[in-house]
Amino acid sequence: MADLTFASAGELARLIAGKQVSPVEVVKAHLERITSLDGSLRCFITLTAEAAMAAAREAESAVTAGRPLGPLHGVPLGLKDLYDTAGVRTTGGSKILADRVPAADATVVRRLREAGMIVLGKLNMVEFAYGPEGRNAHYGHARNPWDAVTHRMAGGSSSGSGVAVAAGLAPVALGSDTGGSIRIPCSLCGLAGIKPTYGRVSRAGVLPLSWSMDHVGPMTRTVADSALVLGAMAGYDPADPTSSVLPVPDYAAALTGDVRGLRVGLLRAFFLESATPEVRTAVEAAARALEKAGAVVDEVALPGVGHVAAGALAVVATEAMTYHAEWLRTRAADYDPDVSSRLMVGAFVTGVHYVRGQQARALIRREVDEALARHDVLLAPATPVTAPRIDERDTTLGDGPSDIRSALIRLTRPFNFSGHPTCSVPCGFSGGGLPIGMQIVGRPFDEATVLRVGDAYQRLTDWHARRPVLA
Amino acid sequence: MKQPVDLDALRGSARVAGFDWTDAQLEAIRPMVGAALRLLASLEDLPLGDVEPTTQYRML
Repeated sequence: MADLTFASAGELARLIAGKQVSPVEVVKAHLERITSLDGSLRCFITLTAEAAMAAAREAESAVTAGRPLGPLHGVPLGLKDLYDTAGVRTTGGSKILADRVPAADATVVRRLREAGMIVLGKLNMVEFAYGPEGRNAHYGHARNPWDAVTHRMAGGSSSGSGVAVAAGLAPVALGSDTGGSIRIPCSLCGLAGIKPTYGRVSRAGVLPLSWSMDHVGPMTRTVADSALVLGAMAGYDPADPTSSVLPVPDYAAALTGDVRGLRVGLLRAFFLESATPEVRTAVEAAARALEKAGAVVDEVALPGVGHVAAGALAVVATEAMTYHAEWLRTRAADYDPDVSSRLMVGAFVTGVHYVRGQQARALIRREVDEALARHDVLLAPATPVTAPRIDERDTTLGDGPSDIRSALIRLTRPFNFSGHPTCSVPCGFSGGGLPIGMQIVGRPFDEATVLRVGDAYQRLTDWHARRPVLA
Repeated sequence: MKQPVDLDALRGSARVAGFDWTDAQLEAIRPMVGAALRLLASLEDLPLGDVEPTTQYRML
């Protein structure tokens, strides 16, 4: 039997359904690995080992009894600690909500349990999801598993999700993505993950950062697993007024491996131009690999993308301030000062700024739509750099100096602003052995094509098959 | 926003918004507020005059 902790979700589901392995063995293997490694990796805020083992035994009984099984029956799952879980605390990575115990599961958690998944616990994250580095002053900084010597950023805000999946502590984790918080840790930790179209997946029961920019989605080691999990999560939810009634396609069935004739637009200006040489070379090589497989690749630009930082600031700062206003009046000292100070800035953003930001959003969305009228997908680096050291504050990009926070979020945020579906896929490693990620952007509600391209690329390459060496 | 943001302006704006933050707290965020307002001012460079703001996405 192969190592269960690095088997894919799809493979685990097949082995369990075929009675070749028990859900109890699968969950136990993951819990043992968590016990062994999480002291240094700092992935989990709350581990629900007893409940996971009880669910595994129940799942085993279902298999033995021949009961109908969900598509992910017995597969373990980690949850970023902003997904409500009935009876289990949901902290948002904060001290303020350290003792908050929801009465009900978030919609997507309920759906994934119904699909057969078993929750291992709640994963570390940036406090209230407000930051891309992956630091957390209250629960410790999750550690990127790809460097055993130097403590490097996992990326955030879904830092524990990225580390847990990369290190084999869970085959699947859920993240959330307001400016890149799924794709940034996927890029820095060598994972696949998808930020679906805004409205594709319910946000009900997920702590907000910015209602109109928040997206939720899966983080996995393969694109095929992301397709499987997204299919079980997606779909209309009356509890989320922004969720779409469009039917959910069979994403797994869309993974044909065929990209012949697909038109791929490579984003050079602003995107490739800002990447470091190693990242740029890796993404260009990925474009050539797709071209060799039959895709038609040319270059495309989004002329207004330089205004996304201002527009997104207007929107996120205002919406985040609205959610946090009362705590900032009464419990400001309970925040990490690095988080509270940025939240406080939102008090000085005016209503005119907010509407200007939403107007800019309409312009950017139109630009992305126009680029996608001529292309099936767009291709770009996910992050312009590989994982920085945990204490690093500044860096040099391909087009000049930048602070780390702005650098990490620079290439992902435009597609939160526009709402288009975007996945991150590993596309290489730096000379120092750190993963490099690329983004594939698709038309609204066309996750199927995004996933198809990502999966086809993974069939052509083996970057996703590498494993970090852990002590 | 060409002028630096001073403490008095921050204090007044914070109070109007309902926040009774201390001068030390406001002084700590003053550079960030100034940088944010300069960035937000750049939105005025966009041709946004009659653009309908995005208030909802394709909720089909």
